[in-house]
Amino acid sequence: MLRDRFNQQSLGVPLNTMVKEARILMVGAGGIGCELLKNLVLTGFGEIHIVDLDTIDLSNLNRQFLFRQEHIKKSKALVAKDAAHKFNPRLKLEAHHANIKDPQFNVNWFRGFTMVFNALDNLDARRHVNKMCLAADVPLIESGTTGFNGQVQVIKKGQTACYDCTAKETPKSFPVCTIRSTPSQPIHCIVWAKSYLLSEIFGTSEDESPELDHSEDSENAQEIEKLRQEAQALKLIREAMGTESFPQLLFDKVFKDDVERLKSMQEMWKTRKPPRPIDYSSTVQEVADAETRKSEILRDDQRVWNLHENIVVFRDSLKRLSRRLQSMKSTSDLDAAEPIITFDKDDEDTLDFVAASANLRSIIFGIETKSRFDIKQMAGNIIPAIATTNAIVAGLCVLQSFKVLRGDFSSTKEVFLSPFAPERLLSSDRYREPNPDCPACSVAQTRVLVDMSRATLNDLVEDFLRLELGYGDEFVVNTETGPIYDVEETENLSKKLKDLGIKGDSFLTIIDDDDENPRVNLILNVQEATTDLEDRPIKGLDISGSPSADGDRPASPIPRKRKSAVESNGQGVTGIEEVHPMANGIVGIKRTAEEALGHESGEAKRPKTTVNGANSANGTSVNGEHGSALIIDDSTDGAIVIDDD
Amino acid sequence: MTEVVTNPTPPILHGPSDKEKKYDRQLRLWAANGQQALEDAHILLLNSGSGTVGVETLKNLVLPGIGKFTIADDAVVAEADLGVNFFLDEESLGQSRSERCVNFLQELNPDVKGEHFPKQEGDNIEKLLGYGRQYTLIMYSLPIEPYTLALIQQYGQQYKVPLVSIHSAGFYSYFQIHLPGCFPIIDTHPDSTATTDLRLLNPWPALSEFTRNLTKDIDNLSAHEHGHIPYLVLLLYYLEKWKESHGGFPSTYGDKKAFREFVSEGARTDNPEGGEENYDEAVAAVLKTVSEPSLSSSVKDVFEYQPTAEESDSSFWIITDAIKKFYGKHGELPLPGSVPDMKAQSSVYVELQNIYKVKARQDVAEVLETVRQHPRGKEIDVNEVETFCKNAAFVKLIHSPDSSADTLKEITGMFDEQALLTMMPLSLLPIYLALNATSHVPSASTSEIIATISKTVPEACSDPRVVQAAEEVARANGGELHNISAMIGGMVSQEVIKIITKQYIPIDNTCILDGITSRTQVLRI
Repeated sequence: MLRDRFNQQSLGVPLNTMVKEARILMVGAGGIGCELLKNLVLTGFGEIHIVDLDTIDLSNLNRQFLFRQEHIKKSKALVAKDAAHKFNPRLKLEAHHANIKDPQFNVNWFRGFTMVFNALDNLDARRHVNKMCLAADVPLIESGTTGFNGQVQVIKKGQTACYDCTAKETPKSFPVCTIRSTPSQPIHCIVWAKSYLLSEIFGTSEDESPELDHSEDSENAQEIEKLRQEAQALKLIREAMGTESFPQLLFDKVFKDDVERLKSMQEMWKTRKPPRPIDYSSTVQEVADAETRKSEILRDDQRVWNLHENIVVFRDSLKRLSRRLQSMKSTSDLDAAEPIITFDKDDEDTLDFVAASANLRSIIFGIETKSRFDIKQMAGNIIPAIATTNAIVAGLCVLQSFKVLRGDFSSTKEVFLSPFAPERLLSSDRYREPNPDCPACSVAQTRVLVDMSRATLNDLVEDFLRLELGYGDEFVVNTETGPIYDVEETENLSKKLKDLGIKGDSFLTIIDDDDENPRVNLILNVQEATTDLEDRPIKGLDISGSPSADGDRPASPIPRKRKSAVESNGQGVTGIEEVHPMANGIVGIKRTAEEALGHESGEAKRPKTTVNGANSANGTSVNGEHGSALIIDDSTDGAIVIDDD
Repeated sequence: MTEVVTNPTPPILHGPSDKEKKYDRQLRLWAANGQQALEDAHILLLNSGSGTVGVETLKNLVLPGIGKFTIADDAVVAEADLGVNFFLDEESLGQSRSERCVNFLQELNPDVKGEHFPKQEGDNIEKLLGYGRQYTLIMYSLPIEPYTLALIQQYGQQYKVPLVSIHSAGFYSYFQIHLPGCFPIIDTHPDSTATTDLRLLNPWPALSEFTRNLTKDIDNLSAHEHGHIPYLVLLLYYLEKWKESHGGFPSTYGDKKAFREFVSEGARTDNPEGGEENYDEAVAAVLKTVSEPSLSSSVKDVFEYQPTAEESDSSFWIITDAIKKFYGKHGELPLPGSVPDMKAQSSVYVELQNIYKVKARQDVAEVLETVRQHPRGKEIDVNEVETFCKNAAFVKLIHSPDSSADTLKEITGMFDEQALLTMMPLSLLPIYLALNATSHVPSASTSEIIATISKTVPEACSDPRVVQAAEEVARANGGELHNISAMIGGMVSQEVIKIITKQYIPIDNTCILDGITSRTQVLRI
């Protein structure tokens, strides 16, 4: 008991007991995860499950302190578990080197936890865990960091705002023509090198890149067609990979011939400076000189390379990548998919290739060239990350967990690090209420037990939704891939659910199209029945209809949508900004904390229009509760800021 | 924890680029010069009490690669340590706490050297501090013996070494930074929108000529050209026209509003968009960019400060002197030289960037020449002069407060008044008072804490919030909560990095944490 003495003293016996009995899920064992795991272990949490699909990289070691040089390429979840276990062998720890979106981690599995901690680095997984926690009705503590900034938020279904209650910015994309024909910023050339050139030569096709925006394609149909042909020709050159002439062929194609063609389109250059193709033969002497300093150039990470140095790096990295791809091909199975190389910011060969190609293109278009260090950040969407910030955020997460354990959600806080506010280093705001229009949490949710051997869509639509839950004529049933039923699309009714691609752990969304008074969307989590369900093939687990007293239809247990932001079903109103007294006594409109942090926090990032030069995310704003200026400087130059990994 | 490596042989990192890779994510925050400063640093931690908060702080400094650290700690590892300190294990029981912690911390980063103290019988604090200016910064955790504290303070005074004290007990904690004399910071990392300095009211000849060329035929330009005149050129053009008709530049708020109107009238609206984006940008920039250059209070503070004889020999003050002369002569600071994003044709934008860069270079050259005239001026690196010129409008001097009972009295007298008036959260000063009262004792009862507080600020003792804080501190009984210590350790290390790299502005000077409400407050005590 001695070991537990300080915790017992400060937490008090009841809370300390709750801590010991808690079952915790921690998703992500990276920057925040390592710190969090240590804090959870030393706070005495009884059972901790760790899920992470990542492996350890050298660039993690400046902050992910459970990992060492010798752990590189090993599973983060497993190494973190072992490190924590050695410290306290009495703990129950379980590690899963897996994707949290895997089907084994279903709603019932989530329901087994007292609470969940998100220590993730990407939007997609965050939203997934948010959705699962809402479906399982398990409290979630969400956190993220970016450089010196960070935030923590408690999510509890129906009581506090969820992760999706505010819109999140989608990653930035560029029109195809800007990237392929008329670049004007370094980032355009970097995206070209990464998403077009590298992927055409060593990967699959460019069209899958989320960084390319095709919405303007139709306006430029002719040019797009030309570009398509250009890409086709590039594919032919790819065939020459490995031959002596390959580097020269590729160079001439993309830095001379394609540029010549572009240049000949005089329309395009009326108001722009026309590009200048690079003539390889005229550089031979200088390139040969630079070649002798090759290893020195390659070490020079932060200096901007000149034309000849870029050519040296281009050729050298091309050779390295070609060799690698060919050896991958020679060792891969015949029936396996064609091996490819994709961009990875920590893969030096791809980074060198992208840096040199991007710079060569910048030179052609008279755009500022960048150092490899800077290009790495822009191409890899690198988020600065340090131990200090993660330590603070992890500490805040555990402090919030005490309130969650007590069920005291009304005193949970949304806390932001404000490293540049001179009078405090943290600013905490009251939790936000759920957004009544939120697509993730302002919905009704229930699990349904389904006998997969016989349940048909008709059983679901007629017996369960209409008869039991009281739905009218007009509604739509969506699976995760699309609609399977609406009032005009009835041919599936006789089919079995399993033949419509629905299986255990699937989600179905029911959208009520009633004109008068529609219900909120209903999310059904399908559970496969393991025993015979006797009379009915589909059975609601969490809600069920009850016969109504005064009508032939049962009363609906699914609440109706609110007609406006006005209070109607007991949930708070949050469509309106809260009004708070400000420091000067004047009543001011309080910005939500989200807005106060603007686009920095890994949260709610609004797209920013930028015209020329670099795109940098900067925010100057006022934090309502304390009336203090909060200035954030985040010069990530076009990088898409997400969070620590 | 993994096994202790008794003789830590660092795994070989392959060349400098491996190190750059390891530190990649932080180099983006403080760059190579900040990293170098960290790697040159030697930090001393005097550990006491239950000993976790200092070690947690060091962890966050070892990871990003400080050069060296020393832990001085007399304690022997006990069972209770294991429940709160992650850098100890079962095998550590009964052994030297400093030695075990050093071993574990060193495992985190083979590039960092660690020393423990005492090493042998008879090693004492005098010996630890007896080798001259050895430490870059000293951290000590509270409680601490008054005698030891006095020696550390003396050392800090003598060698101008920053001191950081940390106290963590139960849900409460605070840390306090004691900087020696004046602490100048050049690279304060101001918000990049704030750094925009376009010199619209006093353009130099090259900029004026560029403007004239672009606008000489403004009414006959094609729609594309007209819509792509950079907004700063537009502003220069309209300012000139305004001056012709008004006899001066717009200076009052009303003038500027009228000027804004004047600019927007120049936009062409006979196009599908019904306006021009570059004009929108120009209109939006009027209030922010059309203003007489003025010195910020922090720069004035630097200019007015009289450095001591010893200080004035440092490069900071030599460059400051040169910049003061520059300002005296031109009425403005050296031009930072950056141009913000704007709608423009790329060739025009690049040209514009160059005009600003050339002027910035000329200004640096002029400052450099003055610097070189100083007897020590030849030793000063041109990069330092460049950085200074670039950041000249944002340099900052931190004056450490004279900690005395009087200041504490003064703050205590009004700690909640302000908060009650403004409906701000109540002050966290009671937490500081209660913790501070146990600065030299391992634990104390509520009444003992109140009695100690009454010696310095008797009027605070009747405050129920002070009594409450004293009860909470008494309840913690000198014990740390790991989570609170880890969190405050994160905050302390963040400030230590700012001090060592001399980048970003460290807090001034005391940060108090209330772990019950997840709140912090910074006070100057």
